[in-house]
Amino acid sequence: MCSDLDRTPRTLLVCDRSSFLDEKNRVSPQVEKLHFNHKVSVLLPGCSVTPSNLDLVMNTFSSFYLIKKLPVHELLDPGLQGAINQGVVYGLSFGTRIDEDTCVALMPKGRLVLSLDKDSYELLGVEGKPSRFNHRTCSRFVVSVDLTDSSMAPGGRGHTRLLTGLRSHLQLQTDFLLSHHPEGGASLQPLLSRYDWSKHEPEVSCRHLTDLTCPDFRSCDCHSLLEWIGAVEADISCESSSSSFLSSFTCPEPNDVLSHALSVSICGLLLPHDVQRLIQELRCHLQQTQLESWASLTVHGFIDSPVSWGDNEHGVLSGGENFYNLLMFPDHTYHLHLATGAYDTCPP
Amino acid sequence: MTSVREKIGSSGFHRTVLKNGSPYCYMKVCLLDQETRLNAVELKSLIITGLKDLHGEVGAALPFDVLKFDEGSLTAVLRVCSGGLVKLWSSLTLQGYYQSQACAFRVLQVSRFNL
Repeated sequence: MCSDLDRTPRTLLVCDRSSFLDEKNRVSPQVEKLHFNHKVSVLLPGCSVTPSNLDLVMNTFSSFYLIKKLPVHELLDPGLQGAINQGVVYGLSFGTRIDEDTCVALMPKGRLVLSLDKDSYELLGVEGKPSRFNHRTCSRFVVSVDLTDSSMAPGGRGHTRLLTGLRSHLQLQTDFLLSHHPEGGASLQPLLSRYDWSKHEPEVSCRHLTDLTCPDFRSCDCHSLLEWIGAVEADISCESSSSSFLSSFTCPEPNDVLSHALSVSICGLLLPHDVQRLIQELRCHLQQTQLESWASLTVHGFIDSPVSWGDNEHGVLSGGENFYNLLMFPDHTYHLHLATGAYDTCPP
Repeated sequence: MTSVREKIGSSGFHRTVLKNGSPYCYMKVCLLDQETRLNAVELKSLIITGLKDLHGEVGAALPFDVLKFDEGSLTAVLRVCSGGLVKLWSSLTLQGYYQSQACAFRVLQVSRFNL
């Protein structure tokens, strides 16, 4: 029993070290595959205000819509098919919890994922598979449908069956977050006009840090590094001594003191292509600064998203983490850390 | 518990996969008591008392850190070694009183990463 008390759910951390100049680097597909990003945090040393070029990119992240009580069968509407087939629409149910509610995700490649409890799954009547997060009994199922498939064309067999299930049997409604690449806006207007919706801009917040103790990234181990970055973002002090009553948390050795640093965070439904733009701009910024510089970018996926990387199923358990941290250096090298929680598939 | 797989490509691409590699767990907890006002030191003492009541002297010696405490919302971020998570969590769940006044901890989030 004592050994059971020591056991905790497994976690995976994948650490890649390479260079952007290396043809085998996979940063771009890895960034693209985490579809539903909730928060992007940037840590920049040596800055007291956001450089203008970075500020421009951070303030031009795509806006997103929140549609109240959207019947999910509307996602099968022929008017939306054009945008879905182009792969430019991202959608995610809002305010639903992956371990107790029905969660819906519309991925940019035209795949619709429904994570359903057993009753809803049986009512829907469309073939799915048991969730990998089931404990003992099958109480949750995942239905994944490729909307670009020929059978899902309006009037097709699969389309009719799913439409009937969603509209007549399940009558599924949910608050829905929707975003799109710039070219997909026009196709969404007919859908928006029928429901109560609001447009939101990603929230950008800035924090100026002074006298920040910073570890040596080249020698620091992955977990200590992520712990330190998390502490800076959460405004946790690294100043306590190891004999302090409250906390023994200190900055990993060897360390250095930065006179200025800037912590910027962006929250909302953030699209991977905007994150790609930010990475490119951070790389340009590093080229213009001194050699010892670096930049850290952390991207968190939605905790309650039914998918994490690609179409890999995601569950919450206790933390629901699905995030990556990209540490970039002026010589084009990078350290990429990708993490998922218990029972999630290994990141790509 | 910890396993490491390493792969080094000919071009310099280097990948390491760490399974259960994190030495710590992080908990975000909230004390549900509208009237109680306490500071970080009192919070830590309260948690140690809870650990001692449930797991005895060995439990009271469990090392954990109060990384952050917001006295307004009574929300704290705790860090504990991975092996001590179940003991800390169970003692927080069963903590029912602070200075003879009913109180309860709500565990908001638990993660192996401080992010």
